[in-house]
Amino acid sequence: MAVSFSRRIRSLAPVLVLLALCLVIASTNSNFLSVSNLIRLLSAAAIPLVLVMGATFVILMGSIDLSVEGVVALAAVAASMLVANDFTSLDLGFVALPAAMLLGGLLGLANGLLHVRLAIPSFMTTLGIGFACVGVATAILGGFTVRISDRTFRELTLGRLFDVPYSVWVAGLCVLVAWIIQERTRIGRWVYAIGTDEHTARQVGVPVERTRILVFALAGVFYGLGGAMSASQLGQGHALLSQGRLFTTITAVVVGGTALSGGVGSVLNSVVGVLVVIVLANGMVLMGIEPFVQQGVQGLLIILAVSLALDRSRLAVVK
Amino acid sequence: MFIKPFGSNRRQFLQATAATGVIAGLGPRIARAEEWTCAVSMRSLANPYHATFAKGAETYAKSAGAPFEMLVTEGNSEKGIADVRALLSRTGGKLVLNIDPNDSPDARVIVEECAAAGAFVVTQWNKPEDLHPWDFDPSYVAHMSFDGVPTSKAITEKLIESMGGAGGIVAIGGILSNVPAIERKLGMEQAVEASGGKVEVLDFQPGDWNETKAFEIMQAWLTRFGDEIKGVWAANDGMAIGALEALRQDGRAGDVPVTGIDGIEAAYAAIEAGEMAGTVAWDPAWTGGMGLSIAHATATGALDIAGEPHEHREFYGTGIVVTADNLAEVRGEPAPIDYSDYWGRVTGQIQYRG
Repeated sequence: MAVSFSRRIRSLAPVLVLLALCLVIASTNSNFLSVSNLIRLLSAAAIPLVLVMGATFVILMGSIDLSVEGVVALAAVAASMLVANDFTSLDLGFVALPAAMLLGGLLGLANGLLHVRLAIPSFMTTLGIGFACVGVATAILGGFTVRISDRTFRELTLGRLFDVPYSVWVAGLCVLVAWIIQERTRIGRWVYAIGTDEHTARQVGVPVERTRILVFALAGVFYGLGGAMSASQLGQGHALLSQGRLFTTITAVVVGGTALSGGVGSVLNSVVGVLVVIVLANGMVLMGIEPFVQQGVQGLLIILAVSLALDRSRLAVVK
Repeated sequence: MFIKPFGSNRRQFLQATAATGVIAGLGPRIARAEEWTCAVSMRSLANPYHATFAKGAETYAKSAGAPFEMLVTEGNSEKGIADVRALLSRTGGKLVLNIDPNDSPDARVIVEECAAAGAFVVTQWNKPEDLHPWDFDPSYVAHMSFDGVPTSKAITEKLIESMGGAGGIVAIGGILSNVPAIERKLGMEQAVEASGGKVEVLDFQPGDWNETKAFEIMQAWLTRFGDEIKGVWAANDGMAIGALEALRQDGRAGDVPVTGIDGIEAAYAAIEAGEMAGTVAWDPAWTGGMGLSIAHATATGALDIAGEPHEHREFYGTGIVVTADNLAEVRGEPAPIDYSDYWGRVTGQIQYRG
C-alpha cells in the first residue's frame, strides 16, 4: 500500500506544486486570483500550451526537439507575410494559419526524416534545423521586421469569446486534440511503447521509424500554429520573435512530470507544467521579488518540482 | 559585395580624371580638395541604421564633389580591415574614411594603417577605451558615439510630460549587464529624480530586450498595480511594443503612454496611432556625413584638428526625441546638414564609465 500511495503522490506532485505556488502568491497579493488576472495568465499560457503539446510527444518517445524557436520564428515570419502587412502585398487572412501549420509540419518532417533515416541523434538534428530556420528568416527579412496590419488576424489573440481570448480557446482545442491522439490512437500508444523500451516495441511489431517521423512532423504542426499565434499576439514577424520559447517549452514539459528518459508522462502533465512556469513568472513580479533573485527562485523550483515527480524506482542509470 | 571604382562607371572615372587634370592646371588649392577619395565602412546595408549612415556619407561626398566608396564588412573583421588596406593602396593614401569598425579591436589596426599611409579616419561606436584620436595626430581625426544617459533622460521627460507631470511608472530594462541597458536605466532614473517626487517608479524589471518577456511582465504589472500605472518606460522599442500589446489586450492601449528607444518602424506606427508617446531616433545621416566632413576638412587643411580640444575629438552625437509632433519630419527626407558646423549636434565628450 505504501508504494501505491507514494506513487499516487508522485503523479499528483506537479498539481500540488501548482496549488502551493498559487496559495503563496495569493496570500501576498489578493489580486492574483482576480478574474482579470486569471484571464491574463491563460492568455500568457496559450502559446506555450500549443508548443508543449508537440514537444510532449517527442519527449515521451525519449527524444528531444530543440528546433522549437527556429520553427516558431520561421512560421511567424511566414504567417505575417501572408496576411495584410507592410512587407509583401499579400492579404490572405486566415489562410496564414493552416499555411504556418503546414510549414511547421514540413520542417518537423525534415527533423524526423534526418533523425531516423540518417540516424543522427534528435538533439543534433533538431538543433541544426532550428538554427537553419532562424538563418532563413534572417535572410528573408535582412534584419527588418514585418508589421501586420490585418485587424482580423490580430483578433485571434485580441478578440474574446465569453471574455476569454480566442487564443486560449485555440490552445484548449490543441490540448483536446493532443489528448485524443495520446489516448485514442495507435500512434499515441506506440509513443509510450517506444519511450519505455524501443527494442521490445520493435519486437512486438510497432513501426518505430514511421512513428518517430510522424511524431516529429506532428510536433512541427503545433510549433507552426504557435508561430502564427505569436505573430498575431505581437502584430509582427521577425527572426528573433521566438527567443526564450525553447527554455519555457522544455521546462514546462519536465516540470509537469514527463520524464526526459521517455515513456512516463502525458499531455495533461504538460498543461500543469505550463501553468507552473507561467504562474511562477507572473507571481514573482506580483510579489515584487528582486530581478536578481528571480532566476534563482525559478531554478530551485524547477529542481523541486522534478525531484517530487521523479519515479526513482524506474531509473536503472542516472545520466 | 560590389565596390564602385571611382564613381559609378568608367566614363565617370575618365571624366573625373580629366577634370582633375584641368583643375590642377587652374590652381593647386582647388585641386587638393578634389583629390581625396571619401569612403564609409559599416556592417551591412540590411539594417536601416547603417543604410541611412551610408546615405548621409554619400550626400556629403556629392556636395563636396569628391569620389565616393562604400565598404561593407558583413560582420567580418578580417574583411573590413582587408578592404580598407586595398582602398588605401589604390588611392595612394589619399583617403578620407568614416568607419564603424566591426569590433573594438579592429579600430586600432585601421587607425594605424591609415596613419602610416597618410590617410584621415573617423571612427564610430567601437574602439578600445585606451585608443584616442590625439594619439595619432592628425590622421585619427575623431571618434563619434551616442550616449544612452541624456537621450534616455530626454525621452523619460517626454513620458512624464505626457502623463501630466505626475504618477507612477513601470520600467522595463534591457539585459542587466549591457552597457546601453545600464546607461538607459540611469537616464530614466535621473529624469524621475528631477521630477522631485511627483513621479514614482512602481517597479523595474529586466525584459532582456525581449518582446515576449516584456509582454508577460506588463501583464503581471497590470494585475499588481492596475490603474496606478500612468506610464510605461521601456529601454528599447521592441519591449515597448511587447508592453503595448499587453495594454491592448486589456483595452488600455492609448490611455497609458508608452515610450521606447531606437526609432524602429513599428514604434513610429504606434506613435502615429497615438499608442506610444515617443521614442529616440539616433542620427545616422549626420554621423555619416559629418564624419567625412571633419576628416575631409582636416585632409585639405581647412581644419587644424590637432589644435582642437579633446571634446572635439571624442564626442557623442545627439539622439532625436521623436513624438507625434515631429514624426513626419523624422520619417521623411532628412533635413539638409550644414557640413561646416562640425560640432553643432555634439552633446559632449565621451565618458568611460568603466
